[in-house]
Amino acid sequence: MTATAADVRSILSIQAHFVPSAAAKKQSTSQAKKPEGISRELYSLIGPSAPSLAAQLQKPQLKQKPRLGSSAVRWEWRKFRNGARGDSLELGHWVKATADPDTEYPFSKYNVQTAHFIYSQDEYSKHLEVDPEWTKDETDYLFNLVREYDQRWHIISDRYDYPGGPHRVMEDLKERFCNVCRRLVRDRPWAGDEASRVQLISTFMFDKERELIRKRYLANLDNRTPREAEEEEALYLEVKRIEQNERKFKRDREELLRTLAGIDSGLPDIVEDELPTILFDSKKKKKGGLDADSPSTPVSAAPPKQRPQPSPRNPVYDALHCITHIDLPVTTPATKAAHQPSFLRTYKLPVPKAAVVPKISQTLAEINISYNRLVMPTEGNVARLNALIDATLPLVETKRVLDKVEYDIKVLKERLNVRSSAPVEEEAGGVVDAADGEAIEGTEEGRAQSVVSTRSTRSRKQRRSVSVSSVDTTGAGTSRPPPKRQRRN
Amino acid sequence: MADRVRVRGLSIFRPIIYGNTATLLTPEERAALDPSRHEHTHRWTVAVRSAASVPDSDVVGGADDLSYFIKRVNFKLHDTYNNPSRVVDKPPFEVTETGWGEFDILIRITYIADSGEKASSVYHHLKLHPWAGPGEPEIPSMDVALKAGPVHSWQYDEIVFNEPFNSFLHTLTAHPPTPLPKTKRRPVPFHIAYPDTLKDTRLAETPEFSQEMEKEEADRLEQAKKKVVAEQEQLRNTLIEKEKELQELQKLVGPNS
Repeated sequence: MTATAADVRSILSIQAHFVPSAAAKKQSTSQAKKPEGISRELYSLIGPSAPSLAAQLQKPQLKQKPRLGSSAVRWEWRKFRNGARGDSLELGHWVKATADPDTEYPFSKYNVQTAHFIYSQDEYSKHLEVDPEWTKDETDYLFNLVREYDQRWHIISDRYDYPGGPHRVMEDLKERFCNVCRRLVRDRPWAGDEASRVQLISTFMFDKERELIRKRYLANLDNRTPREAEEEEALYLEVKRIEQNERKFKRDREELLRTLAGIDSGLPDIVEDELPTILFDSKKKKKGGLDADSPSTPVSAAPPKQRPQPSPRNPVYDALHCITHIDLPVTTPATKAAHQPSFLRTYKLPVPKAAVVPKISQTLAEINISYNRLVMPTEGNVARLNALIDATLPLVETKRVLDKVEYDIKVLKERLNVRSSAPVEEEAGGVVDAADGEAIEGTEEGRAQSVVSTRSTRSRKQRRSVSVSSVDTTGAGTSRPPPKRQRRN
Repeated sequence: MADRVRVRGLSIFRPIIYGNTATLLTPEERAALDPSRHEHTHRWTVAVRSAASVPDSDVVGGADDLSYFIKRVNFKLHDTYNNPSRVVDKPPFEVTETGWGEFDILIRITYIADSGEKASSVYHHLKLHPWAGPGEPEIPSMDVALKAGPVHSWQYDEIVFNEPFNSFLHTLTAHPPTPLPKTKRRPVPFHIAYPDTLKDTRLAETPEFSQEMEKEEADRLEQAKKKVVAEQEQLRNTLIEKEKELQELQKLVGPNS
């Protein structure tokens, strides 16, 4: 609502006579300045007092005209395949005819798959069996659900129904899932650098208590009645107002005391606690600086005498002189016993346990790495070899467990085969016997021969003894085949 | 007194190399040898040197004089040599001898008294015959050996001093080591931990240690770790599958057994 000069003039109609002459006078001096885009009449009316309006008139800001000259772009209905789909479903969509038909479906990249963790029995018993409330079966069940519903926790907690398990709220499930994932990331060998590992671990941080409190708080907020909400709002405003008043009051008082008595009021601060203390600190520093200037306490001059190094941590200097800094725990005692004598880097090459050395050396030899030698045993390379061997240990361990499981499977399969073949033979005994008859006969013949031969030698040996023994041997000979035949089955 | 204070939280190292170079004796040289040594076939030099080489020299390493922190180096040769324990107390820390066989040399490095450190010992296997690839004879014939030229066997290492005395740290920082060349300018010294460099031993030039070698080894180790982790991952998946199979089998077998 700004009044223009014209308005003023129209209101003060008495002075209207003078205006033209004054405007004319002004015009004569400032005619050259008349901006373009305003008619002379208008300008003479409004005078130079409304340049903003003139500027607006001067260049009308219009939308650019659409370029209609070029022909319309053609759109086509084309079939496409979504690369993110597992099946080869073909759908159609409208695309510009100019688009390259071979380009990948642009939205397929948004189908992000989260990495799913799975763990072996061995890993579970080693690292994950920490929560007595969870069994492996239930954890498996949880992980399957998480995979199935792609970490959509509301669905997971809705569908979660582990037979025989206790009731679990969403936070319980999340906590378990995050704990397991975190442990797996932490305990498994990591191919990348430490920072990415720490970052990944931090994504699996889950504070169940905090989450529960947060949800409860939100629920409380949501359950307020409109009246309560209003009251809260009013109270909040009131508090703000009081605070503001207090601050103002304090400022006034401070000012008054300073002007009258030249001292601080000593009133407790309300909000701006920091400001005065900073001021105070700086005063202190100034005082300290003054003290340091006086020759009685040359505190700042003393340290350089003790430590003449140019600067304690200068990367360039350190690299030049091959210096590395160790961050000491503050508590290490400065005793002689704590001193670590000098060593050659090769002394610090990792030494795996004797029991796993052959496996490790073999595994690493397959990828052309010597487990106990380095060409350039620098600090970094020794650490790298260490990390490599640390990563190889679980590999060797997994191989061992895998072998064991494979062996168990073999044994079980064999047992199953035995069991499944045994009843078949019993049922169709005649057929099998007929089929196997020859083989059995053959073997029995051989066995009989051998029995005969042993019997003959035995009988030769035992000829001198009583004939009872020979009867005994024949008895053994007849009773032997059946158990052997059983074993064959 | 202040000089006998250890600098806490600091460790400083010096890159060194130790090893030997061996050349085949020519018939004339062999003839000139002492009669007691008529069986000797090689002349070799075992040494402890700084890691960086002097540019355009045919010596491996030795750009810096190490006597500012090494007081003495003992080389314990094979007992068949006269006076087998050779003490070298001034640079260059090396022993040149003739011989016919390879053996382990115990190298004992004693530091200057100011360091307050005990001596360090390392073994070096004296290498006389050219490095052999798989399938090649370990001791090749004279002609092959002659063609191969001098044999180099060097190990890079770093002597680390933890929390050195202030005065010793001064001494060390007063002699910064010559940095290794950033890139390979000459052949890589062969090392059995990395047989791929074998072809370099066929080159006539004197080998040299470089920072690139360190980086290459770092890459090699990183790659190996990635491979190992990937394999572990794969094995784990198989294991999990097998465990499932086992469980099913156990269920099948279980009730009856």
